[in-house]
Amino acid sequence: MKEKPPAVIIVDDDEAVRSSLRFVFKSVGLAATAYPSAQAFLTAYDPDQPGCLVLDVRMPGMSGLALQEQLNLKGAMIPVIFISGHGDIPMAVEAIQHGAFDFLQKPFRDQDLIDRVQRALAKDESNRSALKERSRIRERFESLTPRERDVLALMTTGKANKVMAAELGLSQRTIEIHRSHVMEKTGASSLAQLVRMAMDLNWTNVT
Amino acid sequence: MKCNVETNKMPNRSADNGLLLTGRMMHVSRLATIGEMASGVAHELNQPLAAIANYAQASVRVLNSPNPDMADIREALVEIGAQAVRAGDIIRRMRNLVRGDDAERAPTDASELVEEMVDLLQADARAHDTQLTLTLDRALPPILIARVQIQHVLLNLIRNALEALIPIPSRQREIVIGTQRLPDGDVEIFVSDNGPGVAPTVIERLFEPFFTTKPTGTGLGLAISNTIVRSHDGTFGHRPNTPSGACFYMRIPSISGAES
Repeated sequence: MKEKPPAVIIVDDDEAVRSSLRFVFKSVGLAATAYPSAQAFLTAYDPDQPGCLVLDVRMPGMSGLALQEQLNLKGAMIPVIFISGHGDIPMAVEAIQHGAFDFLQKPFRDQDLIDRVQRALAKDESNRSALKERSRIRERFESLTPRERDVLALMTTGKANKVMAAELGLSQRTIEIHRSHVMEKTGASSLAQLVRMAMDLNWTNVT
Repeated sequence: MKCNVETNKMPNRSADNGLLLTGRMMHVSRLATIGEMASGVAHELNQPLAAIANYAQASVRVLNSPNPDMADIREALVEIGAQAVRAGDIIRRMRNLVRGDDAERAPTDASELVEEMVDLLQADARAHDTQLTLTLDRALPPILIARVQIQHVLLNLIRNALEALIPIPSRQREIVIGTQRLPDGDVEIFVSDNGPGVAPTVIERLFEPFFTTKPTGTGLGLAISNTIVRSHDGTFGHRPNTPSGACFYMRIPSISGAES
């Protein structure tokens, strides 16, 4: 699947603020799209679009905070940078508590915004690649046969081959074969790495 | 001079009066308080300022790049100009609102003005478990005021008092709103509460713009109230209330000889 290039997404009800922000991002070669309301953004929302969100806290209709809540409910992981006017500090605190990436007060130095956006884009990229890596590993784990899964479960608890053989009623030779299949299929290079992968996936033996 | 002062514990509004008031209520709630209005203006003013800052800073960056696109720069400059005009318009509107127009001023009975305002605020007071008490002088000379502006000041003072009473146990919260004629002929409208009062360290900064003790305050409510009252050749002030709490008052010259 072809990767989409990252984009900065601006949501602000003020036309002048929106187009000035687009100009700022254009001046550093960043693609930007803008929406006049939280609803307009949600309608067009594409979870596969990498990037970050630059969001005004106060907007008529759905506020920036309400939009953040909606995105949290959807499990969206796009980093959100809030921008707001004077006297909105309590809102800023609330936004950060709900996982906002950063917060800026209007008017701001545009370099501050650009720096934060660059960091947010880097964060989004690493989030997305970590997620992709995880789903790749999950696929590999899911390719294991029921027997291999039994062996994996015992391996991750640190059982010796002899003990596993006794518990599963198999020969040690068979255990060794399953064991090497588990290592091969999951791509783990050591028992320690296998255990870490299983923990990352929250893997529990389903047979 | 002895004034004819009547004390009046506000009764519950009858259904008829309730209907009658709805229209006026909507009008006043649209006005909201000075603080909210100022906060709105500040927010509104921030938008063109933010846009100007963004365009100007990004233009510098574009100009420092190897092949600056002059069409972009021109567009940005046009926008900067337009946004500066927009900011100016907002300030002008704000100033008009505060200064008002002499033509809008009309002879007004301060006690009637207070009663009308308090009618609209009963629901708010009940929601705050606060008793509103009126002590009104029924024989006041008229004052020449822009009604909406003085209502703004009064609304602001009452809302402040309601907020100040939050730390007081709900059954003891009381606000007294009164009018009286002073020996020099001025008419005084005051709003007093039995809250914690104004801290001595705060008193001298009370009317300073942008000074606030509230986490979400703008620091403009009392400053604008002060400006409005002074534009009526009046004085706006604060005194401690006895035995406890704060009392804010405005004193406005009465129309001498205008009564007939």
